[in-house]
Amino acid sequence: MSDRKTAWRTWQCMTCGFIYDEAEGLPDEGIEPGTRWEDIPGDWICPLCGTPKGDFEMIEI
Amino acid sequence: MIPQEIAQTIIDPKAYADGARVDDAFARLRKDMPFAQAHPEGFDPFWVVTKHADILAVERQNELFHNGDRATTLTPIEVDRKVREMMGGSPHLVRSLVQMDNPDHFAYRKLTQSWFMPQNLKKLEARIREIAKGFIDRMADMGGNCDFARDVAFLYPLHVIMEVLGVPESDEPRMLKLTQELFGSADPDLNRNRAEIADADAALAQIGATVGEFIEYFNAMTEDRRACPRDDLASVIANGQIGDQPLGHLEAMSYYIIAATAGHDTTSNTTAGGLWALAENPGEFAKLKSDASLIPSYLEESIRWVTPVKHFMRSATADTEMHGQKIAKGDWMMLSYPSGNRDEDVFEDPFAFRVDRSPNKHVAFGYGAHVCLGQHLGRMEMRILWEELLPRLEALELAGAPKRMEANFVCGPKSVPISYRMH
Ligand code: HEM
Ligand SMILES: [Zn+2]
Repeated sequence: MSDRKTAWRTWQCMTCGFIYDEAEGLPDEGIEPGTRWEDIPGDWICPLCGTPKGDFEMIEI
Repeated sequence: MIPQEIAQTIIDPKAYADGARVDDAFARLRKDMPFAQAHPEGFDPFWVVTKHADILAVERQNELFHNGDRATTLTPIEVDRKVREMMGGSPHLVRSLVQMDNPDHFAYRKLTQSWFMPQNLKKLEARIREIAKGFIDRMADMGGNCDFARDVAFLYPLHVIMEVLGVPESDEPRMLKLTQELFGSADPDLNRNRAEIADADAALAQIGATVGEFIEYFNAMTEDRRACPRDDLASVIANGQIGDQPLGHLEAMSYYIIAATAGHDTTSNTTAGGLWALAENPGEFAKLKSDASLIPSYLEESIRWVTPVKHFMRSATADTEMHGQKIAKGDWMMLSYPSGNRDEDVFEDPFAFRVDRSPNKHVAFGYGAHVCLGQHLGRMEMRILWEELLPRLEALELAGAPKRMEANFVCGPKSVPISYRMH
């Protein structure tokens, strides 16, 4: 049973397909595993193609 | 200003065919003038962006650096003038994603974006594997000698993209011929007239005839898919809507043309060059043979190594500054992907081919809003081919001197003679 509060979500860059998984974070970029999408800074860009955060969409995988 | 000899080299189709000549020219630029203007004869001057970081910076700022305001590839002044005459002032013969800026670029890209995402492409994996196996079986039947470029690398991605697009197999030779005419327009072995090009008129007449033939073909296809849509990419394009309107005619035609050209030649060049690199580096071949988990990093390295797209152009929409250089509104800029992919500040020993290179943040697919739409399809095709071929390939060597195409835009090997043993 996934509790709303703890279920990790995934977001995809709509330009290149890069996937941000909250559970995994992006340790290489200093984003800890478990970092919520909302807690990523607004000026963050896709590590693969540079697309702004606003052009990501939540997806189910 | 860039020394004239270097300016002439970086536009010269024959220098790209040679390989080392352009590599040396860009290595000198990266060292001495990483961001400077070239004034080659017959061309408007342009800034040459040679450093990896600068390519990313330009591509990320897609409002400041536009695709569509000037020619998107190196175009001589005379040809540019004639294109504008023909196209009512526009510097483009076609209008695909590459020639667009926002808001059109975003709207037109969205139309097929989800189709090209990895999660959608999964449904093609089994079929693509079947196609790959067919080509590998044929290679096994050739008895240990073939021209890997001609016999495998140029046919396999062609077959995949045509099937995905919805072009029947019987039309594939025609599509290959038209693609090679377009990208090989400077190569006397490949262009429409099979001859050295005399002047701007001749160059444009050839390209115009090729584009015309594509348009005729895809016009018929649009009508067909509007009448009876199928589960192919052509149906997505033919029945697509931008806002609540169908795509413009030129835009729809250009969408097919870019898929039918960029969709295989790039991948073919990379595949041919990837095997060439293995044949030339037996140590790397052995490493890869002994560890199949290296296939993904070998694949990325082969893309970096070949970098089949040699440049795209941008132009500034406002006065700005980069690298301490003043760029004026309207200035033309050449993004040199091969140079970015040999940048000593990003890649350790950039001129070494290493199947286990990591990290490998190459720019062969570009970056930013225009980053290659087909990157996942291209990677998937190549991954499947190597997964199927490498376990069966026991010995490999060059059986003659490989040859590259003469072109300065999309190019790579046109002949890779090999001898091999496989089971
Ligand atoms: C190894 C294979 C490939 C390479 C190296 C490659 C490279 C590139 C590059 C460098 C760009 C320009 C990116 C930029 O401006 O930043 C591009 C754009 C594009 N590519 Fe590819 N490509 C490959 C395969 C494919 C395939 C298989 C397709 C399938 C249809 C494709 C379709 C496109 C399209 C539609 C664009 C225009 C995107 C836009 O402007 O928004 N490419 N590609
Ligand atoms: Zn991205």
